[in-house]
Amino acid sequence: MKSIHVNKLFAIINVKTRALLSKNFIIMPLFTIGFTFIIKIVYGSINIETDMSGYILGLGAVMNIGTVGVYCVSATLAEEKEKHTLRTLMTSSVNGLEFFLGSIIPVIMMMVIINFILIPISGCSFDIKDYLIYGLLSLVCSITSCMIGMVIGVFAKNQVTASTLTTPIILMLMMVPMFSRFNQFSELISQFLFTGILLDTINLITAGAVDVIDWLSIVILVIEIVVSVIVFIIIYRKNGYEKE
Amino acid sequence: MTNEEYIRLEHISKKYDSSLVLKDITAVLHRGEILGFLGPSGAGKTTTIKIMTRQLHQTSGEAYVLGINSRKIDETIYEQIGIVTDNSGIYERMTVYQNLLYFAKILGVNPSKIDYFLKRVGLFEHKKKAAAKLSKGQTQRLILARAILHQPKVLFLDEPTSGLDPSTALEIHKLLVELKNEGMAIFLTTHNMEEANKLCDHVALLNEGVIVEYGTPQEICLKYNKEKKYRILLEEKKKVELEHSKETIELINNWLLSNRIEAIHSCEPTLETVFLEVTGRELQ
Repeated sequence: MKSIHVNKLFAIINVKTRALLSKNFIIMPLFTIGFTFIIKIVYGSINIETDMSGYILGLGAVMNIGTVGVYCVSATLAEEKEKHTLRTLMTSSVNGLEFFLGSIIPVIMMMVIINFILIPISGCSFDIKDYLIYGLLSLVCSITSCMIGMVIGVFAKNQVTASTLTTPIILMLMMVPMFSRFNQFSELISQFLFTGILLDTINLITAGAVDVIDWLSIVILVIEIVVSVIVFIIIYRKNGYEKE
Repeated sequence: MTNEEYIRLEHISKKYDSSLVLKDITAVLHRGEILGFLGPSGAGKTTTIKIMTRQLHQTSGEAYVLGINSRKIDETIYEQIGIVTDNSGIYERMTVYQNLLYFAKILGVNPSKIDYFLKRVGLFEHKKKAAAKLSKGQTQRLILARAILHQPKVLFLDEPTSGLDPSTALEIHKLLVELKNEGMAIFLTTHNMEEANKLCDHVALLNEGVIVEYGTPQEICLKYNKEKKYRILLEEKKKVELEHSKETIELINNWLLSNRIEAIHSCEPTLETVFLEVTGRELQ
């Protein structure tokens, strides 16, 4: 097990956060917030009796988890390779674990914070228990999303490749749960996606249900996070961060 | 200055698929010395650096960096070595100072030392400039500052002045000599014969993965000085080229006594001509 030096980890987190806040990457979370805001306005203008705030929050949260983690992690890793800073960093006494944590921690934090920002935008009202469940679920889903981004990032030589490789994954993680209301096949698949479980749970929380998540969904979330970590470890051991 | 051995390469070979890119490379670098690997593109210079810096593993042979076998070193070795390659990158979104601050934090260097290194590489006036706006020469100097920030014992330089204008190259040469005099061991790869001749204590001429000559630049040049000749410029601007002989020595002596000689050159070959003679290839 590699040791972690806090000074190095914080330095990497600092630089990665700076990168995330740059115009190349901040567009993703801003788009999620904007999308949720627009959906809220659109549904607000339609005269329907049902409270759509839970559905709106679900769409925004799924978009956030499905896009930001996968794209930002893979694209920032690809950018480091493209600009040759990854090699420079890895030959400056930073170990793989420090780089890994430094890369995903700011993205996870950003995703969780955005998910919380989406609550007032969507118009939902949560009690403390709801906040805890929503926060925990956001955290777990963010980690899985980032792990997928890391795996893609290993194979992406530059940001263009990262965008190309992430697009089908992002579409699947986003669209399948979003269309699960309208299509039986999408509904079936959505039950096995962390984004689908997130959407269903948010719908149940906002509907005031007592049991908002079942054991099968918890098992699926755990399996997905474990599988994504194992896949990453296997790929990392074989290729490092750069598949040549 | 001690004669401490910082790098030892013992019969290093490297195979990619079926092609052998390094064959039986043996060399030693001591503290306060500059060892140059001189050869054309594809000769195996960068591969040698990658093996020593843990970025590649050799197929056979052993490499020791600061006494540690390269197969056993971990990332902590980078706290004692600095690397500048053509693949060294900078963070373009950050300023010159922020780039160095980042690596100072990683390498445990006191940030107060950053200004000193910026002054040494001549970038102090540009410390607040975005790295993306630096010229190629300034970028290379920033990369060099980053590599020496933690005052490493060994500095690996892969074609450090390639593509730079002569004045920037000269500044870098001056800095390298200073670093060498401070005790740093420098492993330099280049295809610039003049650079190798000027900077290196020892040179290995590398061709297709094989060291074809090894020694001090002077030793190598004198070894191939088979046709000993003197090129003389006389005061009446007349150029003469004379073969080495007893009569020639007497003649030169007379010219010297009568103050007729403006300039005199021994005509030993340059490293470039030696390389051409040994390999049949040009360095560039």
